[in-house]
Amino acid sequence: MPSVCFYFQVHQPFRLKPYDCFKIGHDHAYEDETKNREILSRVSTKCYLPANETLLRQIDKHHGKFKIAYSISGTALEQMEKYRPDVLRSFQKLADTGSVEFLSETYHHSLSFLFSKEEFIRQVGLHRQKIEELFQQSPEVFRNTEFVYNNEIANFISALGYKGILCEGLEHILGYRSPNFLYHPPGNENIKSLLKNYKLSDDIAFRFSNKEWSEWPLTASKFARWVHQAAGNGETINLFMDYETFGEHQWPETGIFDFLSHVPAEIFKHPDFDFKTPSEVIHAYPSRGVYDVHNLSSWADIERDLSAWLGNSLQHDAMERIYGMEREVKETGDERLIDTWAKLLTSDHFYYMCTKYWNDGDVHKYFSHYNTPYDAYINFMNVLTDLEHVLEVNFEKPEHALAAHS
Amino acid sequence: MLGWEFPPFFSGGLGVATYGMVKALSPKVNIKLIVPNASQGISFSNMNIIGLNSISAEQLSIESLKFSYVNYTSEQHTLPLTLSTYHHKNEEILRNQLDPYEEVTAIERNLNSIRSAFSDGHVYGPDIVSKIELYARLVSQLASNGGFDIIHAHDWITFPAGLEVKRASNKPLLLHIHSLETDRAGEGARNEIYHLEKDAMMAADAIFSVSQFTKDQIIKHYGISPDKIHVVHNGIDPCPKTRVPHKLRDKLVVFLGRITHQKGPEFLLETVEKVTRVFQRVKFVVAGTGDQFAHLLETSAYKKLGSKFIFAGFLTKARVEDLLSTADVYFMPSVSEPFGLTALEAVQHYVPAVLSSQSGAAEVLRASLKADFWDTDRYANYIYALLKYEALNQTLSGDAYQELNQVTWVQAAEKIINVYQKFK
Repeated sequence: MPSVCFYFQVHQPFRLKPYDCFKIGHDHAYEDETKNREILSRVSTKCYLPANETLLRQIDKHHGKFKIAYSISGTALEQMEKYRPDVLRSFQKLADTGSVEFLSETYHHSLSFLFSKEEFIRQVGLHRQKIEELFQQSPEVFRNTEFVYNNEIANFISALGYKGILCEGLEHILGYRSPNFLYHPPGNENIKSLLKNYKLSDDIAFRFSNKEWSEWPLTASKFARWVHQAAGNGETINLFMDYETFGEHQWPETGIFDFLSHVPAEIFKHPDFDFKTPSEVIHAYPSRGVYDVHNLSSWADIERDLSAWLGNSLQHDAMERIYGMEREVKETGDERLIDTWAKLLTSDHFYYMCTKYWNDGDVHKYFSHYNTPYDAYINFMNVLTDLEHVLEVNFEKPEHALAAHS
Repeated sequence: MLGWEFPPFFSGGLGVATYGMVKALSPKVNIKLIVPNASQGISFSNMNIIGLNSISAEQLSIESLKFSYVNYTSEQHTLPLTLSTYHHKNEEILRNQLDPYEEVTAIERNLNSIRSAFSDGHVYGPDIVSKIELYARLVSQLASNGGFDIIHAHDWITFPAGLEVKRASNKPLLLHIHSLETDRAGEGARNEIYHLEKDAMMAADAIFSVSQFTKDQIIKHYGISPDKIHVVHNGIDPCPKTRVPHKLRDKLVVFLGRITHQKGPEFLLETVEKVTRVFQRVKFVVAGTGDQFAHLLETSAYKKLGSKFIFAGFLTKARVEDLLSTADVYFMPSVSEPFGLTALEAVQHYVPAVLSSQSGAAEVLRASLKADFWDTDRYANYIYALLKYEALNQTLSGDAYQELNQVTWVQAAEKIINVYQKFK
């Protein structure tokens, strides 16, 4: 009995305010509160609230048999608590149905695994705490920021006690094999990898409203037919996407909400199919083989690698500088300072600095509030320079202080 | 082709651009270039360069020289006016009163006086008006034998000649705008040069502008139809350069160009003041002269910023190259810069550029940091970042260098030829 596993990513970064060199040493508040509130509100109105409403109705309609999963970053949850508690309540209402699962990720939606295991563990813990506190769930399944994945990450997550991990279904690794089964990393059967069916996922996320696409318009029944083709050759069809697909990337006028509210019934038309959450999937099905990923992969761009965050020397420089401060920041023991620092680890800050495709004025630009990647880098580095200044002035090391007084 | 500046006789971008353009055009187009002053050293295939400074009697059938001067400007020009194109001189020049239908004969202009008129050592000079007039007469004479399909005239100094040749030959007139009076004298300029430009552009069959910025200016200030304006960005010939690290403890920011209102010296000063507030180990090298020089010098001293400036005066090409090869940042805060070739030259030397958005160079250099000409906070922030964050300096200079591959004279020539073909 094949299952459809829907998973949606919800994330908002704490965007930085315009921070020029004159603010360094004087202004230690880096967040653009107005912009963050505005964007959260806009996305809530266009996506979160109507999509939650649509999905809640489908769960009720199908008596809890329609199931979905979310991963909501800690920074997004924090902003909801701060600016839009109504949106948070609407997610909690979904949690109350018992048909919605919340996954683990890094609290700050960071790439910390690559730079500091210590920070990675800390952020996974913080996020876990937050999910337990807000949704009364203890996640068994992990998704790393932007689906950054390889064998090492899977093994590391397994060692932390997780039973499942989400990742991209890479054709060059799968070869003839289908992404519609569970796999495990080489030599580790304690964790199962759920692979994104990128074709079917992207049919919704990217192609849905594309009138040039030969399959346009995509109806729920057509989509269900494609899903049903996996019968006999698949156990879990993993449809993983950004939640903002609904209403923000695909506008309401495209019929995306209508599509979403018809998909469950169309899937159920085939008696063998059901919906499962990621943790239900890993308990229901065995691993069918080894998914062996050495190089780091992600779900971004056509390269599906890390080049969107670590593709140029500006990004490397900024990343090295911010992680280079970790020890000093943590040694202060100052929670506010540590939190400020950690919010700067959010991957979006580095994504804004991406110069690849910049010339085409593409999707990267759509997601950035900076005019140019250079502006993004400069703003971030100015903030970092101030943070270094704060560390130097406010948190003088004891031995230095002593030396100064003696 | 009617030009004014041509190496080695040039004062700014016009000469460099004319040279680069004809060099790239010459393999594909037969060009007769008439300039006031040409040296013997330069020649290309398919190309005949005529310098009026060394004109021969054969070239100019002097006995038959007859010319009727038509008043091209729609407004009368009986008022004294300051015709200091680039404000080299401060003296006022009274325009020569001309009889609109004056007959000129060989007796009035003998060969020697023609030659000497264009050998006075000035590209423009105090007597620019009579030079322009004489140029127009001689060009008209040279063109009277025909043998050409298109008239291509560079900037206002050649427009009377272009108009005259068009009138006499009925051939299409294509104007090339490297700079407008509204750039040089401020956007409110409505003086005689403005009207000459405007009337010529009205009469022209097509116009090349060196940037979209300039095209927009032509539409906005001159009311010319966008349809006949073709943007052809200047190019720069590939030329590998080597960096020569300087031994100063301070970083070097370079400002290169005439110190005139157009180049934004007051914004330079404001920026220096702001940068040095947050970054002390820096010197701003100002290479160039102009009517705002004294003011800049005095104000910088008054603001106690004298130690932050190095005034280098006018530099030869070789010295400019030396300077750029050591510079850390190139800064061009122009109020109105049709193109700004020096920004591309800086990039050739791997110097990242902070540019005014009101410039053509900003259009072709995506890998540069741009701000509105008045936004000195933003300029300062950018310069600070380039001085402070080495990775940014490296990335920008590298990315911009790569972009130069897309900004060549060969590409510019292709666009020009495409327009030529419409008039064949």
